[in-house]
Amino acid sequence: MLISYNWLKWYIPEAPDAEKFVDVFNYHLCEVESLEKKGDDNIFDLKILPNRAHDLLSHQGVARELASLLNIKYVDPAPKYKIPPPAPKAPAGQAELKIDVQSDKCRRYMGRIVKNIKIGTSPEWVIKHLESIGQRSINNVVDAANIVMFDCGQPAHAFDLDKIQGDIIVRNGKDGEEMTTLDNKEIKFKSSNMVISDDKNVLAIAGIKGGKIAEVDNNTKDIILEVANFNPTSVRKTAQALNIFTDARKRFENDLSPELGPHAMLELSALILEMCPEAIFENIVDVYPQKQEIRKLSFSVEKISKILGLDISVSQVEDILKRYNFEYTKTPSPDGHSPLAGGEEYVITVPPMRLDLVIEEDMAEEIGRIIGYDKVKGKIPKINFKTKVNETYAKISWARNKLLGEGYSEVMTYTFCNSGEVEVMQSASDKKFLRTNLTDGLKESLKLNQLNVPLLGMDEIKIFEIGTVFKKSGEEMNVAYGNKKEVKEMSLEEFCKSASPDAFAQEYPASQRHRSQKHTGGAFKMWSLFPFIARDIAVWVPEGVKSKDVEKIIKNNAGSLAIRGPELFDEFKKDDKISYAFRVVFQSFDRTLTDAEINAVMTQITNKIKENNGWQVR
Amino acid sequence: MNEDIKKGTIHPLSLLAEEAYRAFSELGFEIATGPELESDWYNFYALNFSKDHPALDMQDTFWIKEPPRPSGTPPQAGGEKNPPRLDKEGAGGGNSKSVLRTHTTTVTARAIEQAGKDGRLPAAFISIGKVFRNEATDATHEMQFYQIDGAMVGENVSLADLKGVLTHFYKKMLSDDVEVEFRPSFFPFTEPSLEVFAKFKGKWLEMMGSGVLHPNVLKNCGLDPKKYQGFAFGGGLDRIAMIKWGIPDVRLFYQGDLRLNQF
Repeated sequence: MLISYNWLKWYIPEAPDAEKFVDVFNYHLCEVESLEKKGDDNIFDLKILPNRAHDLLSHQGVARELASLLNIKYVDPAPKYKIPPPAPKAPAGQAELKIDVQSDKCRRYMGRIVKNIKIGTSPEWVIKHLESIGQRSINNVVDAANIVMFDCGQPAHAFDLDKIQGDIIVRNGKDGEEMTTLDNKEIKFKSSNMVISDDKNVLAIAGIKGGKIAEVDNNTKDIILEVANFNPTSVRKTAQALNIFTDARKRFENDLSPELGPHAMLELSALILEMCPEAIFENIVDVYPQKQEIRKLSFSVEKISKILGLDISVSQVEDILKRYNFEYTKTPSPDGHSPLAGGEEYVITVPPMRLDLVIEEDMAEEIGRIIGYDKVKGKIPKINFKTKVNETYAKISWARNKLLGEGYSEVMTYTFCNSGEVEVMQSASDKKFLRTNLTDGLKESLKLNQLNVPLLGMDEIKIFEIGTVFKKSGEEMNVAYGNKKEVKEMSLEEFCKSASPDAFAQEYPASQRHRSQKHTGGAFKMWSLFPFIARDIAVWVPEGVKSKDVEKIIKNNAGSLAIRGPELFDEFKKDDKISYAFRVVFQSFDRTLTDAEINAVMTQITNKIKENNGWQVR
Repeated sequence: MNEDIKKGTIHPLSLLAEEAYRAFSELGFEIATGPELESDWYNFYALNFSKDHPALDMQDTFWIKEPPRPSGTPPQAGGEKNPPRLDKEGAGGGNSKSVLRTHTTTVTARAIEQAGKDGRLPAAFISIGKVFRNEATDATHEMQFYQIDGAMVGENVSLADLKGVLTHFYKKMLSDDVEVEFRPSFFPFTEPSLEVFAKFKGKWLEMMGSGVLHPNVLKNCGLDPKKYQGFAFGGGLDRIAMIKWGIPDVRLFYQGDLRLNQF
């Protein structure tokens, strides 16, 4: 969610500098994905957590939260909004707005007719606000509805009254019914989709997107303002089925309080009045079949302290409750704990927008994050656990160590493949089946590693994998191992049959302990993705000359492209001479090497060797 | 060459898993294992995900295509040892579906449930296993990776214990001067929920998710949330390996290339 610092400042004029907010957000509320300077403004990209999407996908919500967190003043804009009272009666012969809510997925629908408006461009501050958070100004009325959503979190919409035939109806779609969206997408409805319609046509997809039919355009004179509240699951399912993502959907599917409606309608009306001073406002029609309950939440300071592992004081709690404007009462704990130990119980009236506060644990989070989790000091729990050995892991561990000891190296290959017995429904890749064996993957790995034998410095490639395979009957842990001639695969159980009965009494064989202790860190060396060239060189030297002497000359003349070697791979004696054979591997990190340049290196090495008396390159 | 058979090289993730298991075993954690093919109950609903949680969207989860089955037979899921269980709360309406587990918190849930049944509480579990996410791959995203997941349940297990345990762990895994801090987060199965950051080589790095087990999760595992309290944590093992050793691309772990085995 993009949040403009200048916009926030309207509501919290005492706000500290934008940079100072970054840590406040990160440590007490949510992650700041970025903070960017944009003209004279600073724009935060906040990753609002799903449990706070009810109240924080808005500038007022974020400002209110910051005011409480930092204990600074929040300026409520509502008292400034003064809407002229409507004419006592609708003009004769003209029906007043009628709203017919037929779906139980609509919790509240507020509508208001506004007449005599003049469509035009928005005031500069409106355009600035919208553009600061990446939105485009369209016209004053549409902009007003958008500002309301980004300001207080409530999606709003305006219909052209003259394009509507009859009443506003909130109902389920009819199978096959059609609508063109404002962005010209053709929609075909099903009965599970909720729509807003008039007597004849569908006007909008409820809570998701408006339709073309009643679009506000440059000639619009009279409008209907819509401020509604819909069931989050219903909005989510409809939007998913139609594959439409809008800012309104995002807010509704996260669940909004219907109690937000009146504030939003007031703000929207005030904005339109600012833009069109001649506008005539009729009464708000408010259909509110599912009234939000007032919820109470009780918690004890003792329990909060126990969850956080931090002694919370009564005064800390009360300070927070006051800063957050939570109405509360305090009672001594029913189980008679000492008040000194924080045994009091608090009962708060949950503000309607705070749909996230339901259970005592939610208050632990609320108090924990406000105080700051840095206050929690880590300690190692002193509990005497009675642990059992996990036999599956003991077997995996035993099998791995046995194979490593026999010279097999470990690989892990992919679970997904092109055919098998178990299939996934949808995949981001073309491999939709789960492997039925490890052998296929191991054979691919053998092929790859076989090509790299000179790089690996191994005489022979021997590898293994321990992993899960999937069959119709279920999953199974297998062991597979082999070389280029043969790969053997069996179940882990089968493989472990050769173990002595007490082999699985512990999860860490001695060899493993040794391995872990000797290893302390080190840095990974990425390999080159270009082909390598391996060259062998054999040298006759007089008896008494050590392989190290020859190796040194090769090394000193092999140049920077030599990435491996010289490695002695053969040595034999004949008469008074010894033959040493070395291998050197050349590879570049940025290009494919040519034979010619490596030939030149080898010639250089050969020449240097020949400078020694009695040395001869074979 | 006259030495014994040259030993094979170990995969870095196995090496790291051994070290992680050891670090937790020192604190009394018990190793737990569980199936990769899991019921939606353990993967989601037991963990307090609601039916309409975005994580249930197709793009994240690999749902298993169920073979048509004769009416009356129970749905098939999980390994032989872990028969599927129908969800209790009617989230799947008695039609349990199989998924490739998206986290090893499934193993934690199963282990806590079993420990409760066996009367083995307090208990602490640690599990490392393969998990699957249906998303496009790049240098930091892979469809399969390893997750390390743990929990401790007792009567007074708090966030302070969590911080102590994770600090011990990251000191063992990365370096002795590592610091650990918590930041606010959200997960359906913990309340409060926290993001764990570790300071390594002067930088704060996001490491894993954690928190105090939600009472609904304890209830779903057959425990009384009035009596028991515990913490849980989970995050990618691959990510720790990449940070620890400077491995640049997560996909290198699953290519079967022995040049990876450098440690």
